[in-house]
Amino acid sequence: MKQFRSSLNSNRIVRQQWSLPPKASLQIPHIFPSPVRHLHLAPLRPPSKPPLRSDSAATQEKKEEANEKRPRRGPHLPNALQRELSLLNRGEPSDGDDEINFDDDAVGNDLYEYEEGIPEEESKKNRRFDPVENYQFELPEDFEDWKVASDEGEDDDNDDDNLDGDDNENQDEGRHSRMLEEITGLPSDAFGGRKKKDFIISEAYPESEYNPSGDILDGDGRISIQDLLDPLHGKSGFSKLRKSLHRMEKKSITTLTPLPKTDQERLERKAAYEQSKKDITKWEPLVKRNREAPTLYFDEDVDLGFSTIGAIASEFEPRTDFEKKIASLVNQNEFVEAHKKDGARLLELNKISVEDVMDRQERLAKMRSLLFRHEMKAKRIKKIKSKTYHRLLKKDRRKAAEAAIHMDPEAAKEQAMKQEFKRAEERMTLKHKNSSRWAKRILQRGLDAQDEATREAFGEQLNQHAALTRKINSVKESSSSDESSDGDDSDDMLVGSDQDISSKLITKAKEKTLKVLEGDEELPKSGVLSLPFMVRGLQKRREAADEEAKLALEEYESSLKQLEDQSVSGSHDRSASSGRRVFGVQKKVVNETRKKEKLNNYYGNSDSENDVEAEEDDVTELNQHDKSLREADIDPNILREEFDIGHDSVFKSFGGTEDPEPKTTYEVAFLASDSWKKISRSSYDASKQTEDSNAVRKGKVTIGTMERDHNNEKNDGDSDTDSGGEMVDGILSSGPRSTYELPSQAELIQRAFAGDDVEEDFEKDKEAILNEENPEPEKPVLLPGWGQWTDIQKKKGLPSWMLQEHETAKKKRMESLKKRKDAHLNNVIISEKLDRKVSEKLHTKTLPYPYTSTEVFEQSIRMPIGPEFNPATAVGALNRPEVVKRAGVIIKPIAYEDMSARERAEIRKRSGGKKQGKGKGKNRSMK
Amino acid sequence: MSSLENEARTFRYSLSQRRVFRNFDPNLRSQEKSVEYVRALNAAKLDKLRFEDQFRKLMKLLLLFFFFLYSKIFARPFVGAMDGHIDAVSCMAKNPNHLKGIFSGSMDGDIRLWDLANRRTVCQFPGHQGAVRGLTVSTDGRVLVSCGTDSTVRLWNVPIPSLMESSDNEAKPLAVYVWKNAFWAVDHQWDGDLFATAGAQVDIWNHNRSQPVNSFEWGKDTAISVRFNPGEPNILATSASDRSITIYDLRLSSPARKIIMRANEDCNCYSYDARKLDEARCVHKDHVSAVMDIDYSPTGREFVTGSYDRTVRIFQYNGGHSREIYHTKRMQRVFCVKFSSDASYVISGSDDTNLRLWKAKASEQLGVLLPRERKNHEYLEAVKNRYKHLPEVKRIVRHRHLPKAIYKAASLRRIMTEAERKKDERRRAHSAPGSMPREPLRKRRILKEVE
Repeated sequence: MKQFRSSLNSNRIVRQQWSLPPKASLQIPHIFPSPVRHLHLAPLRPPSKPPLRSDSAATQEKKEEANEKRPRRGPHLPNALQRELSLLNRGEPSDGDDEINFDDDAVGNDLYEYEEGIPEEESKKNRRFDPVENYQFELPEDFEDWKVASDEGEDDDNDDDNLDGDDNENQDEGRHSRMLEEITGLPSDAFGGRKKKDFIISEAYPESEYNPSGDILDGDGRISIQDLLDPLHGKSGFSKLRKSLHRMEKKSITTLTPLPKTDQERLERKAAYEQSKKDITKWEPLVKRNREAPTLYFDEDVDLGFSTIGAIASEFEPRTDFEKKIASLVNQNEFVEAHKKDGARLLELNKISVEDVMDRQERLAKMRSLLFRHEMKAKRIKKIKSKTYHRLLKKDRRKAAEAAIHMDPEAAKEQAMKQEFKRAEERMTLKHKNSSRWAKRILQRGLDAQDEATREAFGEQLNQHAALTRKINSVKESSSSDESSDGDDSDDMLVGSDQDISSKLITKAKEKTLKVLEGDEELPKSGVLSLPFMVRGLQKRREAADEEAKLALEEYESSLKQLEDQSVSGSHDRSASSGRRVFGVQKKVVNETRKKEKLNNYYGNSDSENDVEAEEDDVTELNQHDKSLREADIDPNILREEFDIGHDSVFKSFGGTEDPEPKTTYEVAFLASDSWKKISRSSYDASKQTEDSNAVRKGKVTIGTMERDHNNEKNDGDSDTDSGGEMVDGILSSGPRSTYELPSQAELIQRAFAGDDVEEDFEKDKEAILNEENPEPEKPVLLPGWGQWTDIQKKKGLPSWMLQEHETAKKKRMESLKKRKDAHLNNVIISEKLDRKVSEKLHTKTLPYPYTSTEVFEQSIRMPIGPEFNPATAVGALNRPEVVKRAGVIIKPIAYEDMSARERAEIRKRSGGKKQGKGKGKNRSMK
Repeated sequence: MSSLENEARTFRYSLSQRRVFRNFDPNLRSQEKSVEYVRALNAAKLDKLRFEDQFRKLMKLLLLFFFFLYSKIFARPFVGAMDGHIDAVSCMAKNPNHLKGIFSGSMDGDIRLWDLANRRTVCQFPGHQGAVRGLTVSTDGRVLVSCGTDSTVRLWNVPIPSLMESSDNEAKPLAVYVWKNAFWAVDHQWDGDLFATAGAQVDIWNHNRSQPVNSFEWGKDTAISVRFNPGEPNILATSASDRSITIYDLRLSSPARKIIMRANEDCNCYSYDARKLDEARCVHKDHVSAVMDIDYSPTGREFVTGSYDRTVRIFQYNGGHSREIYHTKRMQRVFCVKFSSDASYVISGSDDTNLRLWKAKASEQLGVLLPRERKNHEYLEAVKNRYKHLPEVKRIVRHRHLPKAIYKAASLRRIMTEAERKKDERRRAHSAPGSMPREPLRKRRILKEVE
């Protein structure tokens, strides 16, 4: 410590080491509590001005104070500032406070001080020392030393806290200060504490404002702003300065200490986040709208560049040479003018009234629709595969064509041409003249060996041939006869003359055929026809022709005979009066020939009635000789009478020449009706016999009328040979209908379903279904030993509870039956059975996610959305997808729009007349 | 009015289609529900009918789809592959101004511009020394920005679409900016000339400056992806290797908020509300390996993900599970996916050096649709949507054919999560009531939100 004192005399003051180094203090903390600790205990007080006192007590007091305030020596901060600081640092540990004060001292003193660090146990830096709240040997604040009263008090005062060396020093100091006081007469305060040593220091530099003297630097002589201002008093601008100073003092703003960097950054980030949050929140209504919107539209405001072809064309610029050339040509004045003029003319021509245009359009539309319809119809018909349908269609068409012949001369001509062509073809090919392989084969085997259908077909084809070839002859001849016997036209009406002509014709034909037969044409000797196979073919054909000619000759002869017969009988053939008489005659011949071929052993000849009777006999056998059979037996006889009696001229002619055919037909018809009657009889039995007879009677009558009909039809001239067949058909179909009076519909149905009782069946069905869906409860069964004692069972029968149970079950069933939908509907069965498969398929097991109630979910799928179930105006809205976009159109990110402004605009729009503007803005969702 | 007249009158309205007047009385048609159900079922079947199944099912459904056979509406999502790179495709960028153009960068430093219409390379951009990790295009489609592990940012001039036909020309970089660290990602601001790169820190660049105009650093972890918000062009978000997601605001020149997640490659996608980061809005599960890339559809209704499990999936924005899964035998790990700008295609780039073009809706019919055709498609779609909850329709709509590996991995994952759940349940049952509060997965995965 001595060396310290010696150093005190030097220019520099080195802060004394008051305490031991920390480690030492750790070892002896109880004996030497550190002064810093003491300092720590001392309350912070603003520096008070030292009182000027000379007595020793005052000195001692002063010393104590100085001791206390030792760290506060030197110039002090202004009071206001100090208060602020104290406020600021109240919360902080006082160590820091002390340190700051020390710093102040250091600054104030302008002296180089040894900066003493805080002892480690004090700083509590790394917790190496246990924190001790109150040292064991520390004195309390209010401790009063027993030596206080003595003059030398200060020695003892510092006794406990100071080292021995310090004690001595203090004593020295005390004496020294007293001495100085006496010498200088200055208050001892001026050199209070250790600072009085400063007084001794001889300054190295003269005192100046840059080098303040010791008393200024002293704790007392603090420089305040007032001090600085004083010299300026009275000078210009002083008041201004003072005012601003006042202001500053009033509204003093303290600059805070900067926070640590991490905290600072955190605060910054927080602020930034809040800011960006706020920014993002402005999107909320927009995003909400887009999320809730059933549909987002991205196909609006699409600019495809060019809107029309014209716009594209107007942009065209010739680039290649070729294009340029063309452009120059096109743009030549002449062309342009011509074009213009032409255009003008066109415009003139274009002046059409709106009505005309509409009319034309409508007409066109109509035509188009008609065409379309026709097309559709044709397509549909074409698709039909049924052969029957097409046959019927063909027939219809033919009939229509025939009708057209009568109506329309041109159609007739066409038809005639067609026929002519057919005939020519037939002549050329002799297709139907047993020349086909099929016909030859049949002939080879013999017609008798064939079955009925084949024979018929064979006859048919021959017929066709005959018809085709004959027609030609007839037409030719008729035309020739027309030409030749123009004068005979008036006579044509006469039957006799007619017959004569026909006979003449026949004879002519005969002669001709004879000629053909006799006059063998010479075979060609040169050319293609002279080739051997050609020659052979020709010969063959000639032979065939010869044969035909022979046949024809025979026919002619027979027909001639017939004519002679007719003329002999003198009957008037009315049919001959028509223009077709020729055909008629020839037809008979044809029929005859046909008979020769096919009907030989079928009906044989005119006495076919035997056959018919035989057939009927068969039928009667089946019916076990009823009364009606007798009637049926009689019937043909009656019919014959009818035929005989009828005396119709036509019939006569038929009877003469081709008796069997009509006869058979009638008989067939009769048979048919008869058999039908029999069938009906099977259900009706004898009660209807009278009706039967009536029907027969009626039949007779009707047959008579039919004959007339037949006759008429003949007169009308069904030129085709198959008309006979047709007639047969007609009779077959119409005969029974006309002969039998139809029962009423109800009756018919009753008769048809006489056997089965539908209602009962239905009831049974219903019951079965009811039983299946609501099964009947099982009957209680008596099991000996079960439910009751056997003896009681024997006595009382079934236990009562079983019966009761059964009863309730029955009741339940009845109730459920009553509740059924078809309970009151006798003729209806409404099944209430749930098809589990279907119900599983059509129902969800759980309520799907966005829905919270079943009703809402069911409501959402209640109405159909298809185009079949909704008007076209609604379908689009119902089926619109969630996102409407167009492929190939770039979707830009969502742009901000102020929703509130939008809403306002919408409201305005709504109030202003409700235009259809839906206000689809940019609907873009935010990412 | 006779029917003929009526016809003639209505014919004027449309030449091809005759208007049919119907009686919409519901009593007349009592079966409409079942009719529509059957239609929905058939539509679902037709949608699911993938190409390979076509012939197998032909016999069964011949009658049904004879008509549809020619309308090309089967689920054939794969349109085509684009090969040309010689290393894995690491990143892609779509041209926001031109639909056909897409850029792809590969691990060997090659950048290519593809023409999607004829699936050919149009232009190449050679220059990068290492892998290209990030590509982006300015909004006007003029400038391409690329960055990579060679610590350079390169700006390129994009060739004009009309002149794109000349193939295989090579472009020279507009500018090369060398910087201190390797880059992991880059993204361009919408309608601005700033772009952000992610690496050791997040840097904001201007086209014309050789140094970043701004840098953000929050912690020392590398940011591996960066994306601007297209609607709010000053906000961007990054994800970093410390499992964190950070939001930045350019105007405030400071990062805004960070969340750290517990989810590291847990195969899920999480969507957040930027204002409420303590909880995810939705967790999108289905992948069985790490998700490598996500791209939102421009419609905002769905997004596409590419995963390390070799599949591409499409999710609804609010769908917990994927709507669609795309895979082919030859497609390897998917590193990048993009939705096309018209939201009708998806492009994926994968480890097998190929880019693949997919339809965004697997059964969508390509090409021009006649109005009636379109209406019919819409109707079928609506009906399908309406009856999608019914078991049969649901089954068909949900059915997907999966590669065996993925199927097995998925079932394994299911077993694991189930076991975890069970364990949790038991723990809960054996602990004091209330001591183990239930936390939804949306919250559970978020470790903390850092201010």
